Amino acid sequence: MSAFTGTGTLVRFILRRDRVRLTVWVLALAGTVFATVPTLNDMFSTEAQRQARAAIMDTPTGVVFGGPGYGLDDYRLGPMVVNELTMSVLIALAVMSILHVVRHTRAEEETGRAELLRAAVLGRGAQVTAALVTVSLVNLLIGGLTALALAGNGLEAADSVAYGLGLALAGISFGALTAVCAQVTEHGRGAAGLAFLVLGVLFMARVVGDMAEEGGTWPSWLSPFAWVQQTRVFHDLRWWPLLPYAVLIAALFALTYALAGRRDLGAGLVASRPGPAGAGRLLNGTFALHLHQQRGSVLAWSAATFLFALSFGSLATEVEGLLTENPDLVAMLGEQGANPVEGFLGVMSGYVLMAATAYAVLSVLRTRTEETSGRAELTLSAAVGQVRWFGNALLVSVLSSTLIVVLGGVGMGLSAAAALEDSSWVGTMTGAALAQLPVALLFAALAALLVGAAPRLIPLVWAWLGYSLLVSMLGPVLGLDEWLLNLSAFDLLPKLPGEEFELLPVALALAAVVAANALALAGFRRRDLATV
Amino acid sequence: MTTTAIEVRGVDKYFGRFQALDKLDLTVPTGQVAGFLGPNGSGKSTTIRVLLGLIRADAGSVRLLGGDPWKDAVTLHRRLAYVPGDVTLWPNLTGGQAIDLLGRLRGGLDPARKKDLLSRFELDPTKKARTYSKGNRQKVALVAALASDAELLVLDEPTSGLDPLMEAVFTECVLEARARGRTVLLSSHILSEVEKLCDTVTIIRKGRAVESGTLADLRHLTRSTVRATVSGDARALEGSEGVHNLRVDGDTVAFDVDDTHMDAALRTLTGLGVRSLVSNPPSLEELFMRHYGDELAALNGNGGAAA
Repeated sequence: MSAFTGTGTLVRFILRRDRVRLTVWVLALAGTVFATVPTLNDMFSTEAQRQARAAIMDTPTGVVFGGPGYGLDDYRLGPMVVNELTMSVLIALAVMSILHVVRHTRAEEETGRAELLRAAVLGRGAQVTAALVTVSLVNLLIGGLTALALAGNGLEAADSVAYGLGLALAGISFGALTAVCAQVTEHGRGAAGLAFLVLGVLFMARVVGDMAEEGGTWPSWLSPFAWVQQTRVFHDLRWWPLLPYAVLIAALFALTYALAGRRDLGAGLVASRPGPAGAGRLLNGTFALHLHQQRGSVLAWSAATFLFALSFGSLATEVEGLLTENPDLVAMLGEQGANPVEGFLGVMSGYVLMAATAYAVLSVLRTRTEETSGRAELTLSAAVGQVRWFGNALLVSVLSSTLIVVLGGVGMGLSAAAALEDSSWVGTMTGAALAQLPVALLFAALAALLVGAAPRLIPLVWAWLGYSLLVSMLGPVLGLDEWLLNLSAFDLLPKLPGEEFELLPVALALAAVVAANALALAGFRRRDLATV
Repeated sequence: MTTTAIEVRGVDKYFGRFQALDKLDLTVPTGQVAGFLGPNGSGKSTTIRVLLGLIRADAGSVRLLGGDPWKDAVTLHRRLAYVPGDVTLWPNLTGGQAIDLLGRLRGGLDPARKKDLLSRFELDPTKKARTYSKGNRQKVALVAALASDAELLVLDEPTSGLDPLMEAVFTECVLEARARGRTVLLSSHILSEVEKLCDTVTIIRKGRAVESGTLADLRHLTRSTVRATVSGDARALEGSEGVHNLRVDGDTVAFDVDDTHMDAALRTLTGLGVRSLVSNPPSLEELFMRHYGDELAALNGNGGAAA
């Protein structure tokens, strides 16, 4: 029996088990590309419109979410697709690949299902190989459909293929990276966390490299986020930047197998140590329990947000530099009535808000996991009321998302203050972040309301959050109507410091938060606890 | 102090259209160990969740330690400790942390007794809960419950993951709890355990109590098995009232007899010249089989009743 015996069966099993999940990913990603390409053509139909758009892509925000800026001087459909879509699609592919590989490697071992399979006729390397084969198939399918969509809209066939292949290889790279992470930690959550951390670092490396000059500098070349665009598709095609993907993937595969051969099933390379034989004095109630459960995640999210904010805040000088080089840009942005540095930092603190919102929702939904796992039953069989248990969980969610928002604001303010040598930025940016906090609380309150009163509708929170994220990142490109844009929660409140603070919407949002949380507690008190 | 710790009268509980409890009655006198028997899915855990106020009964009345378990949950829970059938713990807490936490949430636990229980159950409290087996997770919940000073212990199939040695430790611990005057509700499908520990037994089937009383009461209602060696022809017993399942093999005879007809059967038997005689009271298993025998028979594909 070789190490790979049974891989084929497992591949079919994974495709069968995840047929809905994978279909949704493929349809959502390929569908976005199919929908966006014609829209871009319609929205920017004249030469003047296209060059105006290209000027926006030349701004710092444009570089962060666009890329190194190839083809901006002749902004036709091809370069438009590459500059407007690449980063969103790459991030989505990376997230998909990370989740998929963790789900079929470490998470399987953690639940013990892997043990059941490994006891059958199955090679040692079959599970990780099957996970990598399936993640490659899905990425190649999405890449292929993307190439079809581009070629179908009259773009050069060779460039379309290079672009689709580049996207797929980038996705597969993150799958392979995750397979390595899954060997290191003992738990699925840990493996995913580690992979996401590396994703963040690699994204920032590209941003820093691309920000320095058009076409990117050496830090860009360290990142798989950069290589697709370095092929200069639809501008001046070159194939060799796809080579680093092949090298990286081969190296990560080899590393995965080497590490997997050195450990037992279920064990991590980092072994778990014995803990305390009794609870410390602080672990004495439900608030402490909820906090203890989440402290690792809160620390990780806070640290990641803080570092993200620090690095974007420090780009403030680059923003100023770009403006002094490009007086036309100042005129254009000036017409929109905003200070460009303020505008840039305002957009970036929008991303801090998104992180805090995602965490707030995850934090509230942990209560549902506690309930369905049976742990809530054990807790509530002690002298603990439903309202206190659930209320403390909501409090932990509010406090931790507030912490993330404040750290994001302070981080951005500190580095902007250092870069621009003006300490008033610390206060400005902290205030700007806090002014948006009610949005995060609103999502958390909606999640709480559903957990408390209608647990079956919980997916609605994800639907609204996903929609809001999509619209606030791609809305203008998708060419949606005004009212559809307004349904995004991230556009409910004014974005400081570029926009003015308004009391009324903030007060309304906070009132809704309080009301939803009160209803959530009442609902949770009245309903039966879910039984295992 | 109330003399009944638990009083359930005519309780119904529906999950959607499925009726989990059907006019259930259950009484547990204070200071006794009450067995709550039934196969999987018969409604034992649902009853316990109603008693804990985690779910609300749709009809009927429930009194627990003199209070309403739904309205007075928090105050009542200070006086009871619960061990679920399938214990899930917080993966990143150690066993010792979980025990202390549960104790504190209940309002205190005796450190000396905790230490004693940890060594008797041979539980390592420094391991993270995610590394514990099912049996060890159960031990964590048992130590937390038994180390508390609760008046009432509610135990839902507490030994399903324990090995025989640990089951023996558990039996000792429950007997000690009773000696301290505690009330215990022990749900189980392990008949020998209930037979060893329980003063009263309630047998539940499809959400309804089909039999309840002391073990002696239950036995009184039913049949004993008699096995004898006789000189005469044992077929004389054939057709006697209350005699069932007569088997004659040479001079050996075995039969079941309704306890109300035991006297008559023995008179017939002594007339045949008895050389040896063994009479066994019905085991709980046999009681149980009488109530579930038809299901078992259906499973085995034969029409005859099992008892």
